[in-house]
Amino acid sequence: MKGYLAFLKKEILEYIRTYKLFIMLIIFAVFGITNPLIAKLLPKILESLITNDVIIKLPEPTAYDAWTQFFKNATQMGLIVTMILFSGVLSSEFSKGTLINFLTKGLSRTAVILSKYTSMALIWTISIVLCFGLTYGYTAYLFPENETSNLLFSVFCLWMFGLFLLATLIFSATLTKSSYGCLLITGIVVVACMIIDIIPTMHKYNPISLVTDNMGLIMNSIEVSSLYSAIPISILLSILFMLLSLVVFRKKQL
Amino acid sequence: MNVLEINKLYKRFGDREVLKGLDMIVPEHSIFGFIGKNGAGKTTTIKIILGLLKQDSGTITVCGEKVTYGDTKTNRYIGFLPDVPEFYGYMNPMEYLNLCGEITGLPKNKIKSKSEELLELVGLKDEKKKKIRGFSRGMKQRLGIAQALLNEPKLLICDEPTSALDPIGRKEILDILLAAKGKTTIIFSTHILSDVERICDYIGVLHGGKLALCGTLSEIKGDYRHNEFVLEFNSEKDASIFEMLEELKHPSISIRRNGNTVKVLLTVHNMDGSFLLSVLSQKSLVPLKFAVEEPSLESLFLEVVI
Repeated sequence: MKGYLAFLKKEILEYIRTYKLFIMLIIFAVFGITNPLIAKLLPKILESLITNDVIIKLPEPTAYDAWTQFFKNATQMGLIVTMILFSGVLSSEFSKGTLINFLTKGLSRTAVILSKYTSMALIWTISIVLCFGLTYGYTAYLFPENETSNLLFSVFCLWMFGLFLLATLIFSATLTKSSYGCLLITGIVVVACMIIDIIPTMHKYNPISLVTDNMGLIMNSIEVSSLYSAIPISILLSILFMLLSLVVFRKKQL
Repeated sequence: MNVLEINKLYKRFGDREVLKGLDMIVPEHSIFGFIGKNGAGKTTTIKIILGLLKQDSGTITVCGEKVTYGDTKTNRYIGFLPDVPEFYGYMNPMEYLNLCGEITGLPKNKIKSKSEELLELVGLKDEKKKKIRGFSRGMKQRLGIAQALLNEPKLLICDEPTSALDPIGRKEILDILLAAKGKTTIIFSTHILSDVERICDYIGVLHGGKLALCGTLSEIKGDYRHNEFVLEFNSEKDASIFEMLEELKHPSISIRRNGNTVKVLLTVHNMDGSFLLSVLSQKSLVPLKFAVEEPSLESLFLEVVI
């Protein structure tokens, strides 16, 4: 336990001093601010580009457009940036041999994995809350008349999927020695989820529905209860990946 | 008491057998020079002692407790300095030592006082607030010693601490190790023999997966000492007179002359230095220097290894 806390402090210090926390916050803050702004301005920009010959009627932008931007950015660029930033979570320690020193001092390998996951989850949570808060506030200001439903639940699903991906990432990291291998395996897991999603009956059990159904939830076209299987499955899979990474890492010769 | 005992240690990597029944004993409060060629298995042995690698068979006890792979319990007695210690560049030495202390479970005030004391010992007092990123190799090596000594280990294991350093850096590290000798037992793996001669009192030469040579430095030198003498005369004429003496024309005496130095090797057991001295006094020859030739560690090493 003391090892876990000490190493968690080190992890957080590392994310601050190596500017990774800063990069995450900046990127998610930029997303947060631009989501409603793009929704508001995009029709105007398009109008200015269209010549008089063509007449296109663009609908008035609504809060839904802002949230479409939010979920598009967060589930695509947001998650990709997060994964790339965290891909060196173990490989940087492997390649330099910085862990050996602490392991010989009695730090348990379990504490290493758990503290690394905790710190990543913490930064992911802060980033997504920041992004959500900015988009929420700005959307309420730009589109005051619009009402959305299940907004918090929808964002919770996105957050949950992020935690699932981070568990996948740390498991991949224990399997390989390089950060690219780690990204590759995580990518394969995501692609596998997408392929499984082709079978319609599997959709409600598939973790990926946590990031594909968000707009449906907000617009009330998808029932909240339809995700009641995918959430526990994502949690179970995350726990499974964590346990597997503990087993693999314990056996790993450094 | 023996701090470290290794018994019949075997380790193979693929089809290469690195350790073939290594036996080794390190007595308390000694500096044990663990010598071997590159690839002889020094680092492998050290990693097994630290529980980072699994041996194929054999036992190791540290301070009377058995070492088991994956379990780092015996490591509380051990301080370890890797050959090229790597640190987090974004930390300063105080922060790094603080992290080490927290992981070892030292109380907060102890960590602070001990860190200050150790940084003073290794000469990094002025750099304690500077980022490790900008440190030279020698400075990292010194910080490595500081972190290894933080938990007041009974056994300090240094894996080639001086191999990558310049002469001044090496001297500094050796001085620090000598200073630490009173408090702990040190195992010092290296292939730089002059370092061993400077600070070690016990040596073990690892060759062919076993200790080919083991004991105190003087014992080993005694065992390998030949009846060889060096005489230096003040002129080449005296030297050649001595070389040509009838008394020394004997099949069991071999004489080599180089300028005004003469080396005499006596291969008969009942003949020793007093014989040469009596010959000298008979002929009234006074050498500038009369010495028993000490075998150098290098010649011993080569003799054992080749």
